[in-house]
Amino acid sequence: MSLMSEQTCSHCGTSFRWKAIYGTAEDGINTIFCCRGCQGAHSMICDAGLGGFYKRSDRGILTVTEFDTSSYTDADLSQHIVSDGNLCRIDILVCGITCPSCVWLLERMLVRVPGVEYVSLSYSGGIASLRFDPVEATPLQLFSVISRLGYSPRPYSADQSEKEARRERDDLLLRFGTALFLTMQLMAYSYALYAGFFQGIGGFMKLFLQYVSLLVTTPVVFYSGWPFFLGAWRSVKTAAPGMDLLIAMGALSAWLYSVWATLSNKETYFESAAMIVTFVLIGRLLELSVRRRAMSGISSLYAAAPQRATLVDEDGGSRIVSVDEVRPGDLLMVRQGERFPVDCLIIEGATEVDQSLATGESQSVLLASGDDVRSGCVNVAAPVTVQALRPAGQSYLMRVAAMVQMAQAGKPKVQQLADRVSGWFVPAVILLALLNCAGRFLYLGEDAGTAIMSALSVILIACPCAMGLAVPAAVLAACSRSATLGIILRGGDVIERLASINSTLFDKTGTVTCGQPGVIQLETYCDYDVSSVLQAAASLEELASHPLARAIVQYAADHGYRPESCHDFLAIPGRGISGVLPNNVQVLCGSELFLVEQGVTVPFVQTYDSFTTSVLVAINGRLAGRLVMVDQLRGGAQEVISRLTAAKLDVALISGDHQATVNRIATEIGVTSAHGGMTPDQKLLFVTELQQRGLKVLMVGDGVNDAPALAASTVSCSLSGSSDIALENADVIITGDDLSRIATAYSISRATMAIIKQNLAWAFVYNIIGIPLAMTGHLTPVYAAVAMTASSLLVSLNSLRLMRFKHHG
Amino acid sequence: MDESLVILIVLSLCLGAGCWLIFIWAVKRGQFEDVEKPKHRMLDDD
Repeated sequence: MSLMSEQTCSHCGTSFRWKAIYGTAEDGINTIFCCRGCQGAHSMICDAGLGGFYKRSDRGILTVTEFDTSSYTDADLSQHIVSDGNLCRIDILVCGITCPSCVWLLERMLVRVPGVEYVSLSYSGGIASLRFDPVEATPLQLFSVISRLGYSPRPYSADQSEKEARRERDDLLLRFGTALFLTMQLMAYSYALYAGFFQGIGGFMKLFLQYVSLLVTTPVVFYSGWPFFLGAWRSVKTAAPGMDLLIAMGALSAWLYSVWATLSNKETYFESAAMIVTFVLIGRLLELSVRRRAMSGISSLYAAAPQRATLVDEDGGSRIVSVDEVRPGDLLMVRQGERFPVDCLIIEGATEVDQSLATGESQSVLLASGDDVRSGCVNVAAPVTVQALRPAGQSYLMRVAAMVQMAQAGKPKVQQLADRVSGWFVPAVILLALLNCAGRFLYLGEDAGTAIMSALSVILIACPCAMGLAVPAAVLAACSRSATLGIILRGGDVIERLASINSTLFDKTGTVTCGQPGVIQLETYCDYDVSSVLQAAASLEELASHPLARAIVQYAADHGYRPESCHDFLAIPGRGISGVLPNNVQVLCGSELFLVEQGVTVPFVQTYDSFTTSVLVAINGRLAGRLVMVDQLRGGAQEVISRLTAAKLDVALISGDHQATVNRIATEIGVTSAHGGMTPDQKLLFVTELQQRGLKVLMVGDGVNDAPALAASTVSCSLSGSSDIALENADVIITGDDLSRIATAYSISRATMAIIKQNLAWAFVYNIIGIPLAMTGHLTPVYAAVAMTASSLLVSLNSLRLMRFKHHG
Repeated sequence: MDESLVILIVLSLCLGAGCWLIFIWAVKRGQFEDVEKPKHRMLDDD
């Protein structure tokens, strides 16, 4: 066979070089598929009349996965069904949605399932809500439709906190919408009153406008502003004056003063009361919108744990049981491609295991009888018989989930700057107001009413919108700017915490390094040249699924070599692969041991090195070449370390890998402190020990094994593409491959805090001028409104300066 | 002139209240839940 030309699969769009499966021609175009799965999915889509999907330009790459019907049963799924009249409702979390076309396809395919009445799929959350007739359709059918299209479905039930968050957002939206609508009305009346103040206004009209203002302001203060009153009441009870108390005081005193002014025919401050509430609600809403969580990681951790196990009886027969029925000591069978259902010991057989869930190492490890395996790891190569060590409830994944939940609960709270400031500011203002009231009443001999009103005017002046906007405006500007720089910050408190850190911890594999091996060196022997070695190795490795194999194929492709077709392919787990190329060229690829076993003389002693991995290539029984591979550093790794060190932060590397490997990486990127061989709970302990010494810790990690440490750290950071559980616990998410963005995130948080401090300082300047004027009775509502608007504008514009923040600023 | 202003103000309040009711209805119906999908949906042919 000669080299096959590259073809593109009509369904999934991937390029392939093996023998294609030809489908029926449609619209005069022949269809070709890379596999049966793609053919099946294609005919399913076309039979449903949705062939237009393939013409959409924005469709992403699809992968076809065989739906593992053993992982769910109708009985399991029935727990997630909510009955809704005659119909049933189920929410399904669909993973693998990359583009609007996916949503389009899934919605249309699902609505065609008989019995399905209604489908809605949210693009941002990836959650499909379905209403169906339980007589005609079963949830399992829906699941298999989704998975046959190449997406992976999981039952989804919104947990309590998520429902709570959605309710809170809707509530805030209603309050804000109401406040905005009424404040807009109010401003029209206020302008009329301002005009009246300068040009004169009829007594009836003034009174009428003031009463209408009272009518529209009252709901703004007491309905829209209600959350502030609740917060104020809480802070009064705990004797910890916060921002809420200040806002509630400001709005309430402005409202009370204005009611009194209306009744006694004076100038009113209604617009101040409404403006404070509306502006601060904008801030709250913006803050909530940046804080939305992407997905629920803990539930995905549970989903990684298989629900079914194959139990081997004493008589040698096997049956499928639920994992909950597995007891320690039971013998189980784990086939190729399955996840280990519980923590277990291998009794019989040898295989390669993908332990990335447990150690963070992407490279699969050869394990044989006597080795123990953690639940959730994937059996890559061959079937093995194992003995269960612990019941499912105490397995590795469940222990990590429990650790994460505990760490989340025990996370130290950092008091926010705005609350710290109002902690002394509020008592000071109250004191001033009381002094003012007492002074007027006792020394100036004014009547009690006038004295109290003057005290109220002091409080309402002291609470400018600028104060409420100082933090949210800066936070919003920082969050949207950093999003364009590839940094996702989850909420304003993250910025404050990030700016305060003094210690940084990095996970190694998958964080500082790519977690994928890459070829760094190619040596040739016995007068073979680079091209023949690479050609031979790539042709064989093309058929293997090992990470090392992918690295070699990638390296060959980068150098312009295309794999040839190969037959008699044979893979021996943990050793290597063999195959025959056209012209009867016999090729072996694998470890030194494998080649020696196959009768190849290896003339040199290969030095053992935990840092690099070598694959030897033999052609026709003679050693032809050696490919040296290493887990390569992620882009910007050195830069991020040098920038963080320059900012006087401690940097350390903590990893589950061997100490020697961690040391090598640490030296390469310039980190002095390196800790290897750490388990998830040791990482967690490392973080909490630093925190007990009073340090604020930034933890950067990507794996399930980093999740407890991430949950406990002061600020946690993950990279996009990390495990769900790491992403859920991340305060900061770096998109793309450039690690130096972590340093940028740090500097943007410092810059934001500087802006926030300037904003608050301005609010104080306003107070220093405003309070004496109010105390002496020289401040009229018109000037107060102008000052308030001007200072809000100043604070907003100052915050917008963050939008010009540069990457290396 | 005063009467006409009063009538206009009351009228604008009623009009605004109507819009406000529509807004409440929209929030309760979940119209603001997913603001990402609709902008893509309009590009679909069917």
